[in-house]
Amino acid sequence: MKIDATQPLEYGTEENRNKIFGFWLFMGAEIALFATLFTVYFVLVDRFASGPSGADLFVIGPVLAETFILLTSSFTIGLAVHSMRLGLKKQMMIFMVITLVLGAAFLGIEIYEFFHYVHEGAAITTSAFTSSLLTLLGTHGAHVTFGLLWGTAILLQVRKYGLDHKTANKSFIFSLYWHFLDVVWIFIFSFVYLKGLM
Amino acid sequence: MLKQLFPVKHVVGYVASLVLTLIALVVLMDLPAAVEIGILAVTAILQASLQLVMFMHIGESSEKKSLYINIAFAIFMALVTIFGTLFIFVWGWYA
Repeated sequence: MKIDATQPLEYGTEENRNKIFGFWLFMGAEIALFATLFTVYFVLVDRFASGPSGADLFVIGPVLAETFILLTSSFTIGLAVHSMRLGLKKQMMIFMVITLVLGAAFLGIEIYEFFHYVHEGAAITTSAFTSSLLTLLGTHGAHVTFGLLWGTAILLQVRKYGLDHKTANKSFIFSLYWHFLDVVWIFIFSFVYLKGLM
Repeated sequence: MLKQLFPVKHVVGYVASLVLTLIALVVLMDLPAAVEIGILAVTAILQASLQLVMFMHIGESSEKKSLYINIAFAIFMALVTIFGTLFIFVWGWYA
C-alpha cells in the first residue's frame, strides 16, 4: 500500500481516493433518484382527491425545527472532518456523536409528523398527492435512518481502531453522504413545504 | 482551541445556511407566485452550492474535473426529468 503523506489520511492511498471518487459517482445516481421522486410529486401535488391538500396538512413549526436541526448536523459533521484532519480523535468523535444525536432528533420529528399526517386523514393510500409526498419524505427519512446506523458503526470503528487510513476514509465518505442528505432536505423544505404553504 | 475546532470558513457557511433558510421564509407572506418561486429557487440553489463547496470540499480532490462533470451531468438529468415531465404533463403541451 503506497501512502501519500502530502494528502489528508482519507485520501492517503489510491484505494482511498478511488473510494471517495466512487462515492461521488453514487451521489450522482442519488440525485437522479430524488429527481424522479420530486418529479412525481410535482406532477401529482394537486391530485389530493377527497383527502387534505398540502396547505391543509403542512405546519411550519416542526418543519423549521427539522431544517435547523439538519443544517446544524451538517455543520457538526463538517467540524468532525476538520478535527479528524487535525488528528484530534476525541473531538472528532464528539462532533460525530452530536451529528448522530441531531440526526435522531430529526427522525423523531419526522416520525411524529407522519403520525400527524395519518391522524389528519393523509395516509399513503389516501390520494395521489399523499402517495407521492410520503414516498418522497419516506425515501429521505430512510436515508437518514440508514445514515444513523452507518454513522454509529463508523464511530465504533474510530473508537476501536483510532484514526487511520481506513477509518478516516470511511468517516469522510460518511460526511459526504450526510451533507448530501442535507441538500436533499433543503429542496424538500423549499419546494414541498414552503411551496405548499405559499 | 476553540478557533482551531471551529474554523471561520465552516462557521460562515453555517451562519449563511441559517440566513438563507430565514430568507426563504418570506414566501409565506403574500407576494406574487412567480416572485416566490424565484426566491425559493435562488435560496435553494445557494444552499446546495454552499454545502457542496464549503462542507463537501468538492474542489479539493485530484479528480475534481471528473467530479464536476459527474455532478453537472446528474443535475442536468435531474432538470430534464423534472422540467421535461412538467412540460408534458402539467403545463399542457400534451393536452
